[in-house]
Amino acid sequence: MQERKTTEHSPTASGAGPDTGREVAVELTGVTKRFGEFVAVEDLSLDIYEGEFFSLLGPSGCGKTTTLRMIAGFDEPTEGNISVAGEQVRGVPPYRRPVNTVFQSYAIFPHLNVFDNVAFGLRRAGVQKDEIRQRVTDACEMVQLAGFEKRRPNMLSGGQQQRVALARALVNRPKVLLLDEPLGALDLKLRKELQLELRTLQHEVGITFVYVTHDQEEALTMSDRIAVMDSGVVRQVADPATLYEFPHDRFVAGFIGQTNMFSGRVEAVEGDRVTLRTSDGEKIEAKGQEAIEANSEAHVAVRPEKIRFGGDGDNVLSVTIEQVVYLGVSTQYIAVRPDGEKIVLYQQNSHDTAGPAEGERVSVAWDAANCLVLGG
Amino acid sequence: MSAKTGGPVYKGVGRIPDRALLLFSVLIYAFLYAPILVLMFFSFNSSRSTQSWTGFSTEWYAALLRDETIHQAFFNSMKVGVTATLIATVIGTFTALALTRHDFRGKLAADTTIYAATVMPEIVVGVSLLAFFVATLIPLGIELGIVTIVIAHVAFTVSFVTIVVRARLAGMDESLEEAAQDLGANPTTTFLRVTLPLIFPGVMAGALLAFTLSFDDFVITFFVSGVGSSTLPLKIYSMIKFGVTPVINALSTVVLVATIALIFGGSRLLVRRENS
Ligand SMILES: Nc1ncnc2c1ncn2[C@@H]1O[C@H](COP(=O)(O)OP(=O)(O)O)[C@@H](O)[C@H]1O
Ligand SMILES: [Mg+2]
Repeated sequence: MQERKTTEHSPTASGAGPDTGREVAVELTGVTKRFGEFVAVEDLSLDIYEGEFFSLLGPSGCGKTTTLRMIAGFDEPTEGNISVAGEQVRGVPPYRRPVNTVFQSYAIFPHLNVFDNVAFGLRRAGVQKDEIRQRVTDACEMVQLAGFEKRRPNMLSGGQQQRVALARALVNRPKVLLLDEPLGALDLKLRKELQLELRTLQHEVGITFVYVTHDQEEALTMSDRIAVMDSGVVRQVADPATLYEFPHDRFVAGFIGQTNMFSGRVEAVEGDRVTLRTSDGEKIEAKGQEAIEANSEAHVAVRPEKIRFGGDGDNVLSVTIEQVVYLGVSTQYIAVRPDGEKIVLYQQNSHDTAGPAEGERVSVAWDAANCLVLGG
Repeated sequence: MSAKTGGPVYKGVGRIPDRALLLFSVLIYAFLYAPILVLMFFSFNSSRSTQSWTGFSTEWYAALLRDETIHQAFFNSMKVGVTATLIATVIGTFTALALTRHDFRGKLAADTTIYAATVMPEIVVGVSLLAFFVATLIPLGIELGIVTIVIAHVAFTVSFVTIVVRARLAGMDESLEEAAQDLGANPTTTFLRVTLPLIFPGVMAGALLAFTLSFDDFVITFFVSGVGSSTLPLKIYSMIKFGVTPVINALSTVVLVATIALIFGGSRLLVRRENS
């Protein structure tokens, strides 16, 4: 598997996220985790900054949980190092690391009521009784569970258990909070609500959040920065806008949002302007992100909302409209090129004029600046 | 189950008719419990006969209370039962923990051995334990008696405790223990505050099972007991050599009622803990 270092080398990849002056809360250097022959995480290097809402995004099985477990101390890296708050943590057991975890299954203690669940960490740390009472009450209030202190976990809904898990972790004021798909088990409406709540909460407490999710929309909504992972490898680290506008490779472009991809041979390179010839002879003008050689194979991508109707632009294709889907704010068109390849485009419904109908032959156009050459 | 999930309930359609099933159940219960009821019935008989009823009396229970050797046997049984149960429960619980929470060489072998031990013929266990004690303990000056009985009972009850506790552990979410560690609990605290409370019903069930098995074991105890260390089952056996008397009936009834009370009380306790 080709490994891509994304943070340092390419200015478009690291994005506008952290100022250089900020402290690093979690640092992973060359972290690899093997389970026998199987490589779950490969040569992972990340700097997560203090106070940041950082997401690990990727499909199921790509190594997100494994990464989190290595930071928490449940697994040790096979190779590489992890530092939390400037301290190396190799060999430090989970109960001595300044991090707390919100587990995917919540892992609420079923034999303890809400108060005792939330107080668990404080009691282990030997905090005074009065202070425990105060802090637990505050934490319950913070996650909107005031008055639920005496409840047994089995008397709580999924969303409430989620809040207990959150309060139980946050009450300890960890340096870093690790969250493993904390909203995965909840229904859509509650998930949307809690996404916003979590984001607000993170701003209030100012604790570094490392958030694991396989939901790209969730990651884009909540995060300051996102690391996109695939099969144990980090593909790109960037803020949401950069990730969407300037995906580094085919995997990222395909995983984040919708995209149209074309493959072809590079005909000419002029500065960052790359001319591509597709297999059916179509010429496509695109924008290069890094050095590329003429005559090599390349892939380009353009977002659906960057394509418009008409013959005016760097790239013009003639297509047949196959399907029109009205989405309220916008309309989605699925168009077919003569060679059978499909193109998806979105048009805002702000125009008075109606768009083309199904079966109509039209021209679509887009600019080279919105058409990126991808690696991978 | 089908009723709960809202599926159709086929009542007696194309099946054995309900009335035949009822009759069948009654016969099975009669077969299981009639001998016991007969035994209890005759323990209150006023004559020595265990065949014909002559009137109600509690004289055999009084005889039971007067008989010093029966007292001795009862105390031996209690001593052995309690000690063996305590030891077997501790060992069995930690064995179960090792088998579910840790990976080690020979784990599969250890696992299989535990199950094999529960189906080992008692006579084999008894004979081999006797041979073992003769070869090891007796040269050290430890005679056959309470000590050897306790060791033998620990040996054969430990697998049962392990299996029961293990079932409980298997149903427990491992991330609970990780959550405890994540919140600053070291392994000991994690065990005491999270693991043990959660598997406690299993531990109690295991202990109860161990005590019951120990209390009424005859075959193994027969081989490893010595002079003056007769347990209740051994005592009953020796009494029976002189014929079935109502005293034996009375004694058996007491043992039976005590066992049922113990198991009933224990399961009530477990159910209550489950629900809380
Ligand atoms: N203890 C383990 N032993 C063997 N393989 C494991 C273990 N833990 C995780 N894996 C494997 O590592 C890969 C990554 O797992 P994980 O980090 O849980 O993925 P994610 O959280 O991204 O879905 C998966 O293929 C999984 O099967
Ligand atoms: Mg996972």
